[in-house]
Amino acid sequence: APAVLAQAPVTMKMQTSWPASDIWMDFARQYTERVEVMSGGRLKVDLLPAGAVVAAFQVLDGCHDGVIDAAHSVCAYWYGKHKGASLFGTGPVFGGSATTMLSWYYAGGGQEFYRELTQDILGLNVVGMLGFPMFAQPFGWFKKEVATVDDVKGMKYRTVGLAADLMQQMGMSVAQLPGGEIVPAMERSVIDAFEFNNPSSDLRFGAQDVAKHYYLSSYHQASECFEFLFNRDFYEDLDPDLQAIVRYAVEAASTSNTAMAMDNYSADLIKLKDEHGVNIHRTSKNILDAEIKAWDDLIPELEKDEFMKRVLDSQRQWVERVTYYELMAAPDYALAYEHYFPGKVKL
Amino acid sequence: MMAFIRFADSLSAWFGKSFAWLILLMTLGTSYEVFVRYVLGSPTPWALDLSFIMYGTLFMMGGAYTLSRDGHVRGDFLYRLWPARVQAAVDLVLYLIFFFPGVTALVFTGWKYAIRSWSYLEVSANSPAGIPIFQFKTVIVAAGLLLFVQGLAQVCRCLLCLRSGSWLTAEDDVEETETLLMRQHQVQGQTPVSTGEHRP
Amino acid sequence: MTDPQIALLMLGGFILIVFLGFPIAFTLMAMGIGFGYYAYYDPSRMWRAYGRLDDTASWWDSMTLWIDGFFNNRIFSLFINQTYAVMSNDVLTAIPLFLFMGYIVERANIVERLFSTLNIAAKRIPGSMGVAALITCALFATATGIVGAVVTLMGLLALPAMLKARYDHSFAAGIICAGGTLGILIPPSIMLIVYAAASGVSIVRLYSAALIPGFILVGLYIVYVVGRSMLQPSIAPRPTKEEVPDLPALTLLRMLATSFFPLAFLILAVLGSILFGLATPSEAASIGALGGLVLAVAYRALTWERLRQSVYLTIRTTAMVCWLFVGSYTFSSVFSYLGGEQVIAEFVQSLDISPIQFLLLAQLIIFLLGWPLEWSEIIIIFVPIFLPLLKMFGIDPLFFGVLVALNLQTSFLTPPMAMSAYYLKGIAPPEVRLTQIFAGVLPFVLMVFVSMAIIYLFPETVFTIPELVYGR
Ligand code: NA
Ligand code: NA
Repeated sequence: APAVLAQAPVTMKMQTSWPASDIWMDFARQYTERVEVMSGGRLKVDLLPAGAVVAAFQVLDGCHDGVIDAAHSVCAYWYGKHKGASLFGTGPVFGGSATTMLSWYYAGGGQEFYRELTQDILGLNVVGMLGFPMFAQPFGWFKKEVATVDDVKGMKYRTVGLAADLMQQMGMSVAQLPGGEIVPAMERSVIDAFEFNNPSSDLRFGAQDVAKHYYLSSYHQASECFEFLFNRDFYEDLDPDLQAIVRYAVEAASTSNTAMAMDNYSADLIKLKDEHGVNIHRTSKNILDAEIKAWDDLIPELEKDEFMKRVLDSQRQWVERVTYYELMAAPDYALAYEHYFPGKVKL
Repeated sequence: MMAFIRFADSLSAWFGKSFAWLILLMTLGTSYEVFVRYVLGSPTPWALDLSFIMYGTLFMMGGAYTLSRDGHVRGDFLYRLWPARVQAAVDLVLYLIFFFPGVTALVFTGWKYAIRSWSYLEVSANSPAGIPIFQFKTVIVAAGLLLFVQGLAQVCRCLLCLRSGSWLTAEDDVEETETLLMRQHQVQGQTPVSTGEHRP
Repeated sequence: MTDPQIALLMLGGFILIVFLGFPIAFTLMAMGIGFGYYAYYDPSRMWRAYGRLDDTASWWDSMTLWIDGFFNNRIFSLFINQTYAVMSNDVLTAIPLFLFMGYIVERANIVERLFSTLNIAAKRIPGSMGVAALITCALFATATGIVGAVVTLMGLLALPAMLKARYDHSFAAGIICAGGTLGILIPPSIMLIVYAAASGVSIVRLYSAALIPGFILVGLYIVYVVGRSMLQPSIAPRPTKEEVPDLPALTLLRMLATSFFPLAFLILAVLGSILFGLATPSEAASIGALGGLVLAVAYRALTWERLRQSVYLTIRTTAMVCWLFVGSYTFSSVFSYLGGEQVIAEFVQSLDISPIQFLLLAQLIIFLLGWPLEWSEIIIIFVPIFLPLLKMFGIDPLFFGVLVALNLQTSFLTPPMAMSAYYLKGIAPPEVRLTQIFAGVLPFVLMVFVSMAIIYLFPETVFTIPELVYGR
């Protein structure tokens, strides 16, 4: 509304791509709380769920146009503008975790690639940042058991970004839908099976009501993170210290999101099993092998694009060096876990 | 003025009727998807995208055609009691202040929206099939242009009606069953119903 | 004025302006953009690019950028974004398909067969012709979903037959008006799709929830027709042999097999595949449309001309419904941006009423809105205003939706905009007066209230099927 006084706090309208009840709204709120406290109240954030102003998949357009000032989303949601978008979170898994890939973004040149894609290639009027390295995502929810790749062939399956191309490569038919539309789509038979992201989100939107078999561990989205988007004019008009707060709060929220995720995801996985009678499985080796094989087939396709080729080269180099160190340094955590909590997991 | 009205009517009708056939494509396309999905067990990756692209194009491109047939719903329980000249005067003012700003925004802002999509040849994010949607976003501009032209024709209609005291209706076209049947029976007696199109 | 007051001005202004009779879609669009321009007015943004021009810029560049400044308001982008949201709404894709199915079935020459068959089948029931007309209406309306066509076709077919059989004018007219309106309630219905799209309630849940209430209403209608005929045999005399012939059971069965069953099968196939999750509503609708085409071919009713009519009418009606959404998406997002939802919520809270009082008030408002307006504008514009309040009172939007769907039956029957009555009057013999039609419709309006009371007292009528099929 009109007449903003010089000293009045700036209000940032931030819309997410998540339904109001999703745990990721709480994650976004951890970010906005940090921004508000650190700015001493000079920056207020009006946090809105998906659909409040624009649809879940339209937040990038919304930020570009300035209909919203900021968005809390994932890069895979705008891969219709350029498939390269999906490399910032849902690209091929070379062996690195989400932490490995987020480190690539901050220390391995990823940030410059992201800038090049959004600014130079697509000419978007936005500034973006990445945060919160997510846990590897479940293969998802199925109405019946799926042991081999033949069991999933011909299914209509929901995922997003390059994971969609991957599953298509494996013989599934893929629909990409925002999180809030998954369960209604299952009820309407638009899809037969789906993955979203994690036990807490899945539990909250009622996955357990439409499917009873939950498969964890997968190579389709093993290294995703959140995308924080800002309308460029809005961002550049902020005072330099507020710009810094908006930027570094992403890093701060990354840690608090991780803690909240560990706490909730683990508790909700047990709740799904014990209270809702969901069968928790590990995805079979047959399907995991097929996923890697499918990535193999997909990568040369993606590398036909000059930009994607450069990004993938950079990611491969990073993972080759960094994950060598990670794997060499890591003890066998499963061994220790098995020692103290015998018989709980069978890997 | 008459010539222009006839021109706009036939322009809108031509586009509306041409795009109307999308419904047949939509029926067949979706039925094909039902067959391959439920009978053969191998759904297509494009059916979902195609169905909303056809639906969206259909209703957007039909906007002007519907306007030319006075088919957009009105809260007209008072309006229909007024003399034609009063109707025309009110309509004229409201076309100028209500109709054109929005329709102009469809054309200009829609253009900015569509041209951006063209610049990176945007495809749908709903499936990996890569169904283009830049042309679909351009439909906003096309629909806006058609509505703009038809809106000018409606303004002319208002002016003519102010002068002559009676409405110039569009030329005969397909009609809803009830409109047809009622028209056939109008000779039999006074009916309080205008021949405006009505809906389900 | 504060922003929420402006929002109220926007809503109040809209209600007044609607009565000027301008097409509502464009009224909504204009008011959304106009008030949105105010809501998003930001002078620092308007001439940002103009201000960055240096002295060497040409006069043309400066002029165009200066003019462009007036359009640097977020409302325009919001409007386009919302338009695109309507265009890519995959629940609404079912609308043109169901309409197309309806127009095809409407032209399949089926009403006459259906009515004459049911007339014979129902012969032994009191008020048999009325019952036959009612069931024909209900079935035909369910398959087509197009009220006007059902009322007029039945008005030309059943009304003269009933009048000839010395039925009371009011009684006969009421049956046809009320029966013809059922198609917008009994799934698969366009109205429920529109409610789902406006409220975010799952369409398949809504379909399954509306099933029992729909049957309750039809049941009440039949009970009323039979009961009234028994109490007052003079208004619905038993038809003579000449009026309705007696036929051997086998012939009757064959007639049923060629008229009643194909249509019933089509409806069941479409509805069943949706409810049991075998196909999406759009898929089922496309199969329904294909089935309608097959039916029309089987009845030798499919001509090029009729196909053309159906196709053209489909685009016109789809455009009418969906452009309303284009207007209302923008209107309601500006309304809530200005804080309109909030201020209404606070006002309702300050009334200090119980959930049941709120429910009654809301339904009363919708009933009253149904006098001058029709269901499409009521659902698309006013239901989004009620929705946030439902949460406040702990009312399930699914339950509310079913009550609204029942309630809106009356919007076709109450003057001044009683479309069902007008359609019938338009084709009825002149001796059937409009006042008689209204008098005949009144008991059916009461039956709608009775059905709403039953639903309210026994919510399981709404929840049983969705819980059975979809859990929770
Ligand atoms: Na995922
Ligand atoms: Na009414």
